[in-house]
Amino acid sequence: MNKRPFARIAALVSVAALTLAGCGGGGGGGSDSGGKTKVVVWNGYEDVQGKNLTALIAKYNNENPDVEVTQLVSSSDRVLQKVLTAVRGGTPPDVAYMFGSWSPNIAKIPQVVDMSSYVNDADWQWNDFYEGERQAATVGDKIVGVPALVDNLAIVYNKALFKEAGIAPPSADWTWDDFRTAAKALTDPAKKQYGWLIPADGTEDTVWHYDAMLWEAGGDILNSDNTQAAFNSDAGVEALTMLQDMAVTDKSVYLDTTNANGTKLMNSGKIGMLVTGPWDLSSLPDIDYGVQVMPTFAGSDAGHQTIAGPDNWVVFDNGSERKQAAVDFVRWLTAAEQVKTTSLATGDLPTRESVGSQVSFQKQLDKNLPGSSTFVQNLSNVKKARPSLEQYPAISEAMGQAIVSVLLGKAEPAQALDDAAKATNDALSGG
Amino acid sequence: MAGQDAAAFPPAARPGWVGRLRRSESATGWMLVSPGAILIGIFGLLPVLMALKLSFQKSDLLTPETPWVGTRNYRQLADDPRFAEAIQHTIVYTALFVPGTMLVGLLVAAALNRSVRFISVYRTAAYITMAVSTISEGIIFLWLTDKDYGLVNATLNVVGISSQPFLASTSQALYVIVAMTIWGWTGFAVIVYLAALQGVPVELHEAAAIDGARPFTRFRTITLPLLSPASLFLMVWLTINALQLFDEVYLTTRGGPLHATTVIVYYLWDQAFVQFNAGYAAAMAYALFVVIVIFTALQFWLSRKFVHYS
Repeated sequence: MNKRPFARIAALVSVAALTLAGCGGGGGGGSDSGGKTKVVVWNGYEDVQGKNLTALIAKYNNENPDVEVTQLVSSSDRVLQKVLTAVRGGTPPDVAYMFGSWSPNIAKIPQVVDMSSYVNDADWQWNDFYEGERQAATVGDKIVGVPALVDNLAIVYNKALFKEAGIAPPSADWTWDDFRTAAKALTDPAKKQYGWLIPADGTEDTVWHYDAMLWEAGGDILNSDNTQAAFNSDAGVEALTMLQDMAVTDKSVYLDTTNANGTKLMNSGKIGMLVTGPWDLSSLPDIDYGVQVMPTFAGSDAGHQTIAGPDNWVVFDNGSERKQAAVDFVRWLTAAEQVKTTSLATGDLPTRESVGSQVSFQKQLDKNLPGSSTFVQNLSNVKKARPSLEQYPAISEAMGQAIVSVLLGKAEPAQALDDAAKATNDALSGG
Repeated sequence: MAGQDAAAFPPAARPGWVGRLRRSESATGWMLVSPGAILIGIFGLLPVLMALKLSFQKSDLLTPETPWVGTRNYRQLADDPRFAEAIQHTIVYTALFVPGTMLVGLLVAAALNRSVRFISVYRTAAYITMAVSTISEGIIFLWLTDKDYGLVNATLNVVGISSQPFLASTSQALYVIVAMTIWGWTGFAVIVYLAALQGVPVELHEAAAIDGARPFTRFRTITLPLLSPASLFLMVWLTINALQLFDEVYLTTRGGPLHATTVIVYYLWDQAFVQFNAGYAAAMAYALFVVIVIFTALQFWLSRKFVHYS
């Protein structure tokens, strides 16, 4: 009786089954163990940001012996796909770091906890979060997350190149005409030096640079009830014509069509100005840079508006006990004290106005990374947010192509925007 | 368990299907491959079938509701100008990349098929492009072909040619990607051709040389026909890969400028994970699958005319 195929089949099948079970079970983190409520936090924080979050979590676990918060770190870009897989598999995390641009899609996931029933409690201090952040976390009547990280766009300029060109550095009351004049003066084809560099790959990175200009010129992306494109207005054309004047007429802009070179070229002194966010400052160690708020358009009283890209902590429902523990943890993590600690440790902008407005705090930030305080003050110049709509990716795609076609000299602003508006309206009506 | 079964039903007393199965070797074979087969079935075959199902649904990968839409996704493919554009780019790319890689690979392999000093160093050097990760390849080519600061334009300037926009140009970007991927795949073609070249009998060359055939004639009439199985393999393999081009585009141009390098799989990815039209993307994947099957079958059919196995 040494040939026993059925025994072997049974053994092999059970081995396979165990392997599969092993693959499937590792994702979501277990339920209660040893009386502690588990909270699993998915995030993409690395380096200083990762260290800071780990320290905060350790502190929270210490102070709350009945809860055990654990992390699963993976690239933020991929979190949405992973969360979706986990949701489908029935083992979502309790808390996940999600990009703000995903909010309309996140709102459709049934397991996502609508925070609107929590954040109105006084101890949340919800209105202390900057307005742009609150807008980006809101989809219709739902609040899908709590602001985790915020940034905005401002001018970062190379002081030495301005001095060399003999022109005054950007001032807080600059207009786009001033910006254009400076960019032209900073451009030197012989030295392969450009006044400005703009991401021109047509992705959302291109589009949000334009959005800030559009709003400042008095325009909007969509009409007030989000049913039609509004960017093909006079304001939209004015903003895009400014880009055309610089890129096509003056040739003072390096068009970064692959969107890979910006900070490197800035850091090697080839570019006079970047319009970028605080995350780039630490990549500019070789130059002496300054930071200034966005320019306005002559005659506009919009107030040097910028655009913010806030990301959120999103809570998932894994049963009432874990849900409550997750909500409590997020409330603690995003409270003013922890926001301040995080900001000072990482250089990230504070998500709360009560922290950002402290002068001593701004000075401390500047000491770590010069220019940070301008970005903090610039948070008050965020007046509008991109529409939180499912169709937004299609709108962004249409606008991105319009902008790039003008930058490359292949189209005229009014026509390009009208074409994009048509594609936008199709997307909005088609669903 | 099994011991009890065996005792209760001895093989000889039970000639039904169980007995046949027990005696057959294929059962043992299946059993031995079952761990792998089950894993491949679940992680390979099942997703393929689920994608087929997805292609008849409307899904954004987010919401649990995935209504059936019949063949709408497939019909949409027919009148999507961006898909037509992506097909065109893919065809141009494949038509240049496949013969290009085979030609460069053959030339390099022929040059390396001799015994000179340090030949293994040269052979390693030729193959090493295969060991370079696509990410490094992308970054290297981005900088090489940069319109203002790239080494290629600097070289062109030296010989008096003005700077080219390369990846920043709607008319040049696709060809830069062709060049880049030929560079990346040359090592693979070299290895295949080199192995085949070593199998070409020296006697045939000697005999032909005695009959007065010049080296080029010998290469054309002896070497090339004997390389034809390798050529067929390369042609099929490279075509399948070319039709699925994605990484290099994603890493360099992101389908731009102005969709100039948007090939089918890049557009598919864009639809699935940027625009969240997963059902439509799945339909596209199946359309591509059918195209690849047809292409491959066509290549094998045509190959009867030019492939010689001995």
